[in-house]
Amino acid sequence: MSLQTLPADPDASSAIPERDLQAQERHEDELIMHLERDQFVAETSRPVPRAPLSARARAGLWALRIFVVIVSLMVIYTFVEQLH
Amino acid sequence: MSTPVISASPLLGQPLLTDEDLARSHDRSRVHHARRHRRRWHLMWLLVGPGILAMLGENDGPSMIAYASDGAQYGLGFFVPFIPILFAMAYVCQEMCMRVGAVTHRGYGELVLQRYGRVWGWFGAGDLTLTNLVTLVAEFVAIRVGLAYFHLGSGVAVALGLALVVFTLSGGRYWRWERIVLGLALFNGLFLVAAILVKPHVGAVVDAFAFTPFPGGSFNTLLLLLASTIGATVTPWMIFFQQSASADKGMTPRDVTHGRYDTAVGAVLAAVFGIGALVAGAALLSHDGSGIQGFAGAGFPEALKHVAGGAAGTVFALGLIEAGAVAILTISASTAYAAGECVGVSHSFNSSPRGAAVFYAANIGVALLAATVILIPGAPLLSIALNANVLATVLLPVSLVLMVMLANDKGLMGQWVNKRSTNVIGIAVIAFVGICGAAYGIDSFLQATHVIGA
Repeated sequence: MSLQTLPADPDASSAIPERDLQAQERHEDELIMHLERDQFVAETSRPVPRAPLSARARAGLWALRIFVVIVSLMVIYTFVEQLH
Repeated sequence: MSTPVISASPLLGQPLLTDEDLARSHDRSRVHHARRHRRRWHLMWLLVGPGILAMLGENDGPSMIAYASDGAQYGLGFFVPFIPILFAMAYVCQEMCMRVGAVTHRGYGELVLQRYGRVWGWFGAGDLTLTNLVTLVAEFVAIRVGLAYFHLGSGVAVALGLALVVFTLSGGRYWRWERIVLGLALFNGLFLVAAILVKPHVGAVVDAFAFTPFPGGSFNTLLLLLASTIGATVTPWMIFFQQSASADKGMTPRDVTHGRYDTAVGAVLAAVFGIGALVAGAALLSHDGSGIQGFAGAGFPEALKHVAGGAAGTVFALGLIEAGAVAILTISASTAYAAGECVGVSHSFNSSPRGAAVFYAANIGVALLAATVILIPGAPLLSIALNANVLATVLLPVSLVLMVMLANDKGLMGQWVNKRSTNVIGIAVIAFVGICGAAYGIDSFLQATHVIGA
């Protein structure tokens, strides 16, 4: 029987892409086995809960921040002064 | 450590797969394969990257000019031992970033924002954007200085820098981006070649390791030297970059040991190459090195050519081009990570430009903005470049404090929290950086306002 006499079976013609699809899915399944659950984008997109900070820690952070902003402004002022 | 996911069906409540997941899992499958077959060197090859890039990225144009300038003005004495000490400090900070990224799979910006609130997250991102923009301008200046040696102008520097950013982004894969930048970063070794070409007295270099006193000069000059040299070693962008890149690479707690090797190798290479720039610069010490204005023209490469021959000048010029180019890539990437993380959208080299528009736009946009500045006629490029490292030093303590807090957060890190010894060293580093930066800022301000004499 020549190839030309083969019936044009729609199921047969779709079997090859189906196999490809299954192979691809298997490949993807194998690949994702190598990721930890919390590495998935869907997981990392979920925000972590807010950390409880003591009043002292918050005050310390604000003091540091204000100090750094003041010193930065001093450096920027000096930089601008040097330009003149 | 979490259980590996076998099926990714949204119906079963499992995570929905994205292209970013598939790209990362492909990279991870190679790591698993190498680990399973005990291919130690292959595993090392697969896992190195963020640490070396952070450290060699920080050996950027302004930093190498700062080292060469230190050598030209003060010789080797104080700086040969000081540079390795600074990179040891950088290792402590960067190891924390790598560990937090590998354990949490999240970047620094998003963790600070989510864990400590939007105010701190946006403050951090604001600091980063400011210092990155200033530093990027300095990188383009460094490329221009290098190109000026070959009689090429600012336009070529801008075109080269921007073309590299676009080219490295074009693959849509973290692995590709990392390997291209790693390949470029190894040319940082040109500074070591330059040091060899100036034929230094080996005994003098070895003797310099015996810690010599502070170099002479005014108190303000000393503070400027300390602040700019620290800023040449540890900066806010490195913190953002290494944590985010470790997460983007897909590192896990099992990879922390290799992450430490990666960071340590980066620190050693950066210290050696930094000392190379210092030694090359020191060749100008007896030739009025202090009078060289590195950014005013061809500067150091041209001066080296006269003192040590054309080869030394050419290698130094090529080194400056490389240092600027690599830093443009890594600093733009850190800005892009921070932008994506703070806005709360996709922020990965494994995402397509359509899927991570903010990430790609920030990456190219910040480089474009910096490039525009160096094309402005009469822009104070020399001052910008010299102040870039100092500004980074002044803004660094806040980033470091939040980094230490994250690395001590048991809720996030579990058994991977900092050891007591790491905390002691980390706090000492923060205190040292904070005092040097603040002392310079205050002293310079008081001089500028004529409260104290120069």
